[in-house]
Amino acid sequence: MFRFIHSADLHLGKRFGSFSGDLPGRLREARHNVLARLADDAHSHGASAILLAGDTFDTETPAPDVRRQALAEMAQHKDIRWVILPGNHDSLQAAQLWSNLRNEAPDNVVLAVDPSPIALAEGVALLPAPCTTRRPGRDLTEWMDACATADGMIRIGLAHGAITEFSEDKVASDVITPDRAVKAGLDYLALGDWHGAIEVNPRTYYSGSPEQDRFKHDRPGEALLVSIAGPSASPQVDRLRTGTFVWQSLDLHLLDGEDPVQALAQLLPSADRRHSLARVQVSGNARLAARTALAHAAADMAHDFAWFELEDSELVTVCEVDDLDQIDKGGALRQAADALLAEGRDDRRSEQDRGVANAALARLYAFAQQVS
Amino acid sequence: MRILALRLFNVKRFAGRGVAIENIGEGVNVLCKPNEFGKSTSFEALHALFFQPHTSTAGEVRNLRPYSGGTPVVQADISTEAGQYRITKQFYTGKSARVEDLVSGRLIAQADEAENFISDLVQGGAGGPAGLLWVRQGITGIEKRSKAEEDNEKQVRASLLESVQGEVEAVTGGRRIAEIMNKTSISLDALVTPTGRPKSGGRYAIACDERDRLAVAERALEADVQQLRAALDERATAMRQLTELQKPDEKAKRVADITIAQSAIETARQLADRLKAAEAELALARERHQAAHSENERFQDAVVEVKSLEALTHKANLKRDDAVAKRQDTTATIDAARMEAEAAEKEASEARQLLARLDAAEKARTAADRLVELQRRLQNAETARETIEAAEAELAQVKIPADAIDELQDLDVEIVQLRTLRDSARPTVSIRYEPGHTGSVSMNGAPLIDGQEHGYDGHATLVAPGIGTIALRSNQPERSDDQLEQLVAKRDALLSAMGVADLAAARARQVEAQKLEAQINEAKAVLRVLAPEGMPALRSEIAAITPDEAEEIELKADPVATRQVLEDAEHRRQQANQKARDAEPVRERAEGAFVGAQTELATLAARMQQTAALLGPADLQETKETELQDRLAKLSEDLEQAEAQAEALRAKTPDLESLRAAHKRLVSVDQGIDANIGQLRETIAGLNAQIKARSDDAVEEQWSETKDALEAAQMRVAGFEAEVATLQRLATALDSARSDARDLYLKPVMAELKPLLRLLFDDVAITFDDKTLLPQTILRNGQQEDVDRLSGGMREQLSVLTRLAFARLLARDGRAAPVILDDALVYSDDDRIEKMFDALHRQANDQQIIIFSCRQRAFQQLGGNILQLSDWDPT
Repeated sequence: MFRFIHSADLHLGKRFGSFSGDLPGRLREARHNVLARLADDAHSHGASAILLAGDTFDTETPAPDVRRQALAEMAQHKDIRWVILPGNHDSLQAAQLWSNLRNEAPDNVVLAVDPSPIALAEGVALLPAPCTTRRPGRDLTEWMDACATADGMIRIGLAHGAITEFSEDKVASDVITPDRAVKAGLDYLALGDWHGAIEVNPRTYYSGSPEQDRFKHDRPGEALLVSIAGPSASPQVDRLRTGTFVWQSLDLHLLDGEDPVQALAQLLPSADRRHSLARVQVSGNARLAARTALAHAAADMAHDFAWFELEDSELVTVCEVDDLDQIDKGGALRQAADALLAEGRDDRRSEQDRGVANAALARLYAFAQQVS
Repeated sequence: MRILALRLFNVKRFAGRGVAIENIGEGVNVLCKPNEFGKSTSFEALHALFFQPHTSTAGEVRNLRPYSGGTPVVQADISTEAGQYRITKQFYTGKSARVEDLVSGRLIAQADEAENFISDLVQGGAGGPAGLLWVRQGITGIEKRSKAEEDNEKQVRASLLESVQGEVEAVTGGRRIAEIMNKTSISLDALVTPTGRPKSGGRYAIACDERDRLAVAERALEADVQQLRAALDERATAMRQLTELQKPDEKAKRVADITIAQSAIETARQLADRLKAAEAELALARERHQAAHSENERFQDAVVEVKSLEALTHKANLKRDDAVAKRQDTTATIDAARMEAEAAEKEASEARQLLARLDAAEKARTAADRLVELQRRLQNAETARETIEAAEAELAQVKIPADAIDELQDLDVEIVQLRTLRDSARPTVSIRYEPGHTGSVSMNGAPLIDGQEHGYDGHATLVAPGIGTIALRSNQPERSDDQLEQLVAKRDALLSAMGVADLAAARARQVEAQKLEAQINEAKAVLRVLAPEGMPALRSEIAAITPDEAEEIELKADPVATRQVLEDAEHRRQQANQKARDAEPVRERAEGAFVGAQTELATLAARMQQTAALLGPADLQETKETELQDRLAKLSEDLEQAEAQAEALRAKTPDLESLRAAHKRLVSVDQGIDANIGQLRETIAGLNAQIKARSDDAVEEQWSETKDALEAAQMRVAGFEAEVATLQRLATALDSARSDARDLYLKPVMAELKPLLRLLFDDVAITFDDKTLLPQTILRNGQQEDVDRLSGGMREQLSVLTRLAFARLLARDGRAAPVILDDALVYSDDDRIEKMFDALHRQANDQQIIIFSCRQRAFQQLGGNILQLSDWDPT
C-alpha cells in the first residue's frame, strides 16, 4: 500500500493586485499556509509523499522570501517527501529558479526536473513530465510509454497541462493524451493545471488547486489523498478540503414582488464570511424600491465578507405606477421619471442607453426618498 | 367634473346622523353658515372621498371619525361628460367604495376598481395637477400638516403663501425637483467638471490617474519581464552551446585532426617533387617526338608538292602560248584599220578646205549686195529727215495753242453778251419822222434813223436841224465795273499774242498748222521704215561691211558635190577607227594573259627549287624517307613511357593546396571554439547578473500584480463613468422635465392668472424664480416686493386666483374640475372681497365653484347658488 497526497497549482507568491487593502496579503498568506495544511493532512492520513503537479510558484522568478519560506516549510516536515514538478508558470525555462531550488532544497524535497523515473519509495516509481518551457508544444508524457520499470513496481505519472481543449491559461497546443495512464501502464497519473479537482478516468486525476485563486470553480480548495494497494490495483482517491478562502460566484434571480434582501441573505453563505469572496450576479426583475433596498443590503452585507460584489446590470427594473408615485404623483419630477422609464424600456435604444436610463431612474427614486 | 350633491353620515360632529348638501349647481355655490355648523366637516369629508382610499386609516380619515367612533360614510353625486355617478365610501368597519350610475342605479365599480375610477376623475390624466383645486385657508389639503402646525396662527400666513407655491410645485416639482437636481449636481460635481472631464482631486480623477499610472507601470514591468525571459532563454542557449563546446574528447579530436592534416601535407610535398621531375622528362620526350614528327611530315609534303608543281607548270605553259597567239592576231587587225583611217582623213581634209573657200566667196557676194541697199536707204532717210525739219520749222511759225482759240471764242461771246446787256439798259432815243419830213435829227453826230432806237450813255446831244440841239441826260450813275472793257482788253492782248487780227484769222492759222503736222508725221513714218534703229545705226551698219568681204572670189567647184566627198571620207575614217578600237581589248586581254602566265611560271619555278632542296638529291630520297620513319617510331615509344610514368606519379600526388586549406580550417575551428567558449562564459556571466537582479526583484510577480491592479482600476474607472453617465442622464431628464413643465403648465397658468390679477390689482405682475419655479417677487406700482412680505390678505387672494387660473386651464383642456374653497378669504377687506367675488363669478361661467364660509355678512354680497344643509339618512 502506497499513500500520497496529490496537489498542484499552489501558485505561491501570487499577489492578487485586483484587490485592495489587506486582502491580497491574506490571500497570499493563505497560499503559503496551505503547505502546512497539506503536511498535516499527510500526517493524519498516513501519506508519505506529497506530489505537487506543477505551478507551485506563480512566476518564473518568485521573490526570494516566497521561495525560501516555502522550502523552509517543507523542510519542517522531514518525514514527508515533497516532489516539485515544473509547471507552465514555473517551467524549466526559469533556470534561475530551478538552480536556486537545487541549491536550497532540503533533503526531503525532490525536484522532478528530468523525464526519468524517480524511486519514490520502495517499489514505487515516479515518472515525471516536467514542463521544459512555458509552452512546450508537445505531449511531455509521451516518454512514459517507453519507460520500463522493474516488474512489480507501482508506476505513478506526474504531469502538468491540459488533457483537452480546456486549460487554465487557454493554451491548448500541448495536450496530454487522456489515456496516457493506460498507454504507459501507470497506476495513477497525477495532473496539475486545472484549478478544480476532476476525475479524468479512474487512474487519472486533476487535484485542483488547494487554495482557490479565482471565481471559476465555485468550490473550496481541495487536495487528493491517493492510496494504491499495489501494482495494477485501482487507486483509492479521496478529496481533502484544504482551502481557507472560498471564492463564490452566485446567481441571484429575482422575481417581481420577491423580497430581494431576503433572497440575497438566503443565497449567501452564513458561515465564515470573513474567508469568503463572493460575486453575486443579479438577474430577473425588481421594483424600484426593491432594487434600492437590494443595493443598500448589498452595501451593508459587503462588510461581512473578505470581498463582495453585487453585479446588477442584468437586473431589469420593473416600474409600476405606484413606484413612480413615490417619486411624485405628478408634475415635472413625475414627468422626468416617466421619461426615464420609457427610455429604459425602449427596445430601439442601445443596451447601454437603456441601462443608463434605468440607473438614472433608480437614482431619482433614491434621491426622491431622501428629499420628501 | 361637477359635484351635484354631497352627503355624509357619522362624520365628526355628526355622530350617528347624516347631513346632505343637495342641488349643488354650476357656477358659484355658497354654503355660508356660522362656525361649528359643519362646513369644514363637509369639506374634509369631500376631500377624503376623493383622495383617501376606503381602506385608509390615515390621519385624515381618522379625523373624520366622531369621538364616539363608528364608520363614517361619505357620498357624492357627480356629473362628468361620460355620465352621472354616485360615489360612496365607507371607512373603517365594513369599509367599502362604490360607484353607481346615478340614473339607473347600476353598480359600475367597487373596492379598488372604484378607487381607480375616482383616481381617474381627480387626476385627469398623468402629470396634471390633482388636488390643487382644493383650498382651505390656504392649505391645499394634500399636504400633510400636523394639527399643531395648522393651529399655529403664525404658520397660517406662511402656509397661505406655500399654497400658491404648492400649486406650482405640484406642477413643476418645485422645491423637490430643485433639491434633487441639487443633489444630482453635487454628486456630479464631485466627479466631473462642468465640461464632463474628471475633476482633479475628485475620486473619479484619482481613479483615472491611478489607472494611467498602473498602465505605465504595467508596461514597464512587462518590458522587464520580457527582458528577463529573453535573458533566461539566451542564457539557456549559451549554456547549451558551452556544454557542447567544452566536451573534453572534442578538443582532443580537434588536435589529432590538425596533426593528421599536417603529416598529410608533408607526404604530399615529397610526391610533388618527384612528379615535377617526371613532368620535365615527359616534356623533353614530347619535344623530341614533335620535332621528328614535323620533319617527317615536311618530307612527305615535299614529295606531294613536287608532283603538284609539275602539273601546274605544264598548265601555265599552255596558257602562255595561247596568249601569245592571240596577241599577234589582234595587232595585225589594228594596224590595217589605222592605215585606212589615215587615208580617209587625208581625203576629208582636202574636201573640207575646198568647201571653206566656196563659203567665203558666197559670203562676199552677199555683203556687196547689202551695201548697195543700205546706202540707198540712207539717202532716202536723209531726204525724209530734211522734210521733217522744214515742216517743223514752218509749224513753229504758225502753231497756235488749241485752247487759245477756244478762249478767244469764249471771250468774243462774252463780250457780245455784255454789250447786249449794256445796250438794253441804256436810255434810248427813237424818232418817228413826220411824213414828208426832210432832214433828220442826229445824236452825238450820228443821224437817228426813223423807228430805230439809239442808245447813249450818260448824256447825249441831239441836233434837230431847224429846231436846235437837245441835250439828253440819263442821270444814271456811271457804271462802276469795267468788265466789258477788261474783256475787250484781254481779247486784244490774246489776238496780238497770236499775231492775228481776229478769230477767223486764228482759225485759218490753226488749219494751216494741222496740215504741217500731218506732213511731219508722214515723213517720220517713212524714216522709221528706212532706219528703224535710227540713222546712226544705219550708218554704222554700212561701215561694218568690210571691203574684203565685199571682194568677190571666183570658184567653179560645186559645193554640194564637195560636201558629199567630205562626208564619205569621214564615214570611212570613223569605220576604220571603230574596227581598231574593237580589236584593242582583245589584244589587251591577250597581253594580260601572257604576263599572268609568265608570272605563274616564275613562281612555280621558285617553289620547285625550294621543294627540290628539301628532298635532296633524287637518288637518295628513298633512303632518307626510311631513316625518318624509323626515328619517329622510336621517339613515340619514348614519349609513351615518359607519359605513363608522369601519370602514375600525378595520380599518387594529392592536392597540396586543399590539404593546406583543410589544415588551416581545422586550426581556425579550434581557435574559434576556444574564443567562443570565452565569449559564452562572458555572456553567461553578464546574463547571470541580470537574471539574478531581476529574479530577486520578483518582476513577474510585480507584473501580474500590476496587471490585476490595472484591471481593477479600469473597472473602477468604468464604474465612475457609468455613475457619471447615470447622473448626467438624470440631470438631463430633470432639466428637460422642468422646462417642459414650465412650458406646459406654468406659462399657460401665468397667462390665465394675468387677467385675474388685473381684476383685483392694477398693475401687478408676479415673477417666478427661474430655478425653483416658485413665486418670488410681486411687481406692484413699479415696486418689487418679496412674496414673503406680502400681507395675509394679498397672499390668500393670490392663492385663490392662482387656483382659479389652474382651474380655467384644466377646463380649457376639457378636464373641468370644481374649485372648492373653505374659509379661503379670511384676511380680505370688504373692497377686495367684492373684487374677488367678481373674479369668482367671472370664472364661474364655465366652472363649478363651491365656497364654504362663516363670514355671512361679507359673503351675502357674493350671490350665487345658496346651499343648505339638510338631514340625510343613508339607509
